[in-house]
Amino acid sequence: MQMKSGFPLADKFSPLQRYFLTAIFSVISALSLTFFADNLDHANIVMPLLLVVLLVSVNLGRDCAVFSAVLCVSLFDYLFVPPRFSFEVNDPQYLVTFFVMLVVALTTAHMASGLQKAAADAVKRQEVTQALYKVAQDLAGALTGIQVNEIISKFLLQQTASKAWIIETHDNTVVRDDMTTGSPFSIESHMATIALRDKKTVNSSALNGADWASLYVPLSTSMRTYGVLSVANIQNLAANLKMLEALASLIAITLERLHYVQVAHKTELEMVSERLRSSILSALSHDIRTPLTVLVGLADSLSMIRPPLPTPALETSSAITQQALRLSNLVSNLLEMARLNSGDVKLRLEWNHLQDVVSACLQHLNLALAEHQVITNLPSNLSLVEMDAVLMERVVSNLVENAAKYSPKGSCIEIGATEDLDNIEIYVSDQGPGFEESKISELFALFMRGEKESNKHGFGVGLAISQVIVKAHHGNIYAENNRTGGGALLRVVLPKGKPPVLEQEEVD
Amino acid sequence: MDSRVLVIEDELQIRGILKNALEDEGCHVCEASGVKDGLRLVGELNPDLILLDLGLPDGDGIGFIEEVRGWSDIAILILSARFDEKDKIAGLNAGADDYLTKPFGIGELIARIRALLRRKPRGQEETSPYIQFGECSVDFSKREVIRGGKEIHLTPIEYKLLTVMLSRPEKVMTQTHILKSVWGDSYSDSAHYLRIYMSHLRQKLEENPSQPKHFLTEIGVGYRFKQ
Repeated sequence: MQMKSGFPLADKFSPLQRYFLTAIFSVISALSLTFFADNLDHANIVMPLLLVVLLVSVNLGRDCAVFSAVLCVSLFDYLFVPPRFSFEVNDPQYLVTFFVMLVVALTTAHMASGLQKAAADAVKRQEVTQALYKVAQDLAGALTGIQVNEIISKFLLQQTASKAWIIETHDNTVVRDDMTTGSPFSIESHMATIALRDKKTVNSSALNGADWASLYVPLSTSMRTYGVLSVANIQNLAANLKMLEALASLIAITLERLHYVQVAHKTELEMVSERLRSSILSALSHDIRTPLTVLVGLADSLSMIRPPLPTPALETSSAITQQALRLSNLVSNLLEMARLNSGDVKLRLEWNHLQDVVSACLQHLNLALAEHQVITNLPSNLSLVEMDAVLMERVVSNLVENAAKYSPKGSCIEIGATEDLDNIEIYVSDQGPGFEESKISELFALFMRGEKESNKHGFGVGLAISQVIVKAHHGNIYAENNRTGGGALLRVVLPKGKPPVLEQEEVD
Repeated sequence: MDSRVLVIEDELQIRGILKNALEDEGCHVCEASGVKDGLRLVGELNPDLILLDLGLPDGDGIGFIEEVRGWSDIAILILSARFDEKDKIAGLNAGADDYLTKPFGIGELIARIRALLRRKPRGQEETSPYIQFGECSVDFSKREVIRGGKEIHLTPIEYKLLTVMLSRPEKVMTQTHILKSVWGDSYSDSAHYLRIYMSHLRQKLEENPSQPKHFLTEIGVGYRFKQ
C-alpha cells in the first residue's frame, strides 16, 4: 500500500503538474481581481489572494503553497500596486504590505498543510489500528501455527509490503536451520537466536533488500518465548517498528494460547487413558475376586457344618481357603504390577509411620503367619517416611509372606526398622535356608524363584513388584544372607526426606 | 440374634453363601440383586443391617449409601472387590459403617456383622462413662485412663484421639474423619499428626505397639478400635 500524502488533489498529479496548477490558479485569481481594481481597496485585494494561498496549501501541499505565496505577492505588486503593470514600487510603505502578506501567506500555508498532515497521520494510524484489530480477530480464530503464519504474512504484505515468517521454537533457545525450512526468504539463524535469547528486537539494515530477513522480533509473553518473527524487505522501519512489535506480542499471545490448547488436549488424553486403564484393572479385579470369594465362602461353610465333618475333610476345606487367599494375593500383585508398569504411576504419598504399615501387614497375614513366631523390632521414636502406605504394605507383606513360605514351621521371623540421618531401613529376616549367593542378583527378575523346581508357592512376582514399588519411592531393596545363624535377610532402604514439623502441644 | 439383614449382591452364589452364614447366626435374610430392588426393600422391611456389594451392575453403590443415609441410620457393611482404596474411602465417607475386601473368610464376616448388630443406632448409644479393653480401662467421667492398675498420663490431644476412637468400637474411621474430629477442619490434610499421635497412644496403651490388638490400622483408609 502506497503512502498517502493526505492532500486531496496532490496524489492525482505529478509535482510539475501541481506547480503548473498552482500557477494557473494564482494567476487567474489575480487577473480576475483586476476587474475590481478600481472599486476595491488594496487591503481587500490582499485578502482574496491570501485565500488562494490557503486553498492551494489545503489541496496541493506545502511546497505548492509556498510557491503560490511568492507568486501572489509578486502578482499583487505587478498588477495592483502603483505604478501598475510593473514591479516598481512608488510608495515604500507597500514593502510592509508585501512583507506582512508574505509572512501571513507562508504561515497559513505551513499551518494548513501541517494540520492536513496531522489529520492524514491520524487516519493512517487509525487504519493501522484497525488492521491490527482485524489481525487480532483473525489470530483468535487460528488453530495451528501454519494458520498464524499465513495471517501474519498476508497482513504485513498489505500494510508494509514486507514479507514475514514466524520461526516457532518450543523448548530451546537456539534457532537451528531445520526450524527455518519453508521460509520464503533466507534467515540469519544467528541473529534470530540472539533475538530469542535476549528477548530483544534485532535489526540489520545491511541485510535489508537482499532476499534476507533483516528484522527479528522475539515473540515473548510473561511466561516464556515462543519464537521469533522474521521480516524481510522492510521500508520505513522507524515508522513501522512500533506496529511490528505490537504485532509480535499479538502473535506471542496466540502461540501461547495454542500451546495451552495443546497441553489441555494432551492432559485430557492422559486422563482418559488413565481412567480406561484403571477401569479395566478394576473389572479384572472384580471378575477374578468374585469366584475366589465364592471359593473361600464355600470352603469356609464346609467347616461350619454341624455336626462337624471328619478331620481330613476339615483340613481340606481349610487348605482350599488358604490357597484361594494366596491366589487372591497373587492377583493383587499382578494387578499392581500391571498398573505400575503401565507408566505414569501416581503414588498417594503421605507421611506415614512404619508402625502402621507393619501392623497392617501382620493383621492381613495372620493366617499365613499362624505357624511362625513373629518378632517386631520398631523403635518407638521412628521418623515418619513419605510413602504410599498401601503399596508399601504390599512390599512388607510380600517380604514377610516369602519369609513364612521359605522358612520352617515354628521358626522365627523378625521385622524391624533402623534409621540414620538420611535413610530409613525396614528389614525382614528369617531362619530358612537363605539364598544361593550366585542367584541373588536374579532374585528380583519377574518369575524367578529361590529354588529350582521348588514345591513352594509363588511366582517370584512378589519380589519383582516389591522392587518396582521401592524404586518408585526412590529407594532400594537388597537381598542377602544373615551373617549370623543363616536365613534370608531382605532390606528396604528409603530416603527420609524432610518430615513436616509438628506443632508441639502444650502439656499440662 | 433376631435381626433382619438385607443382602444386596448381584452374584447368586455369593448371595447364597452370605444367606447360609447369616441364617446360621439366626438372622432373617432378604436378598436383592441390584440397587433399585435394594432401595425398595430397605423401605419395605426396615432392616437392621445392609450388606452391600459396591460393584453392582445397575447402579452406583456410593449413591445408594448416600440415599439411605438421607433418612436412616441402618448399619451398612460394604463388600468390595474393587482394586482401589478410593472406593472404600468414598463408601465410608458416604456413611457406610465398615467394609470387607473380597475374598473374605466367613469367620471374619460374622465377627464384623456381630459387632455392627451389637451396636445401638446413632443417638441411642450407651452413654456408659466406662469402657474396658485389654488391660486398660477408661473412665470418661473422671477423665482417667488406667492400665494394669496404674494411671496413664495422656496429653489433651492423645485423650481426645482416644475418645474419638472409643466412641464407635469396631467401626472403621477414615483418617479424614479422625483428623477433623480431633484437630479440626483445617487439619484434614495433616495426616502426619494422626500418625504420630496414634503411635503415642499405642505406645502407652498397647502391649506391643507394632502388633496392636485394639488400635488397628486399616491401611490406606484409617483406623479401627477393637475392644
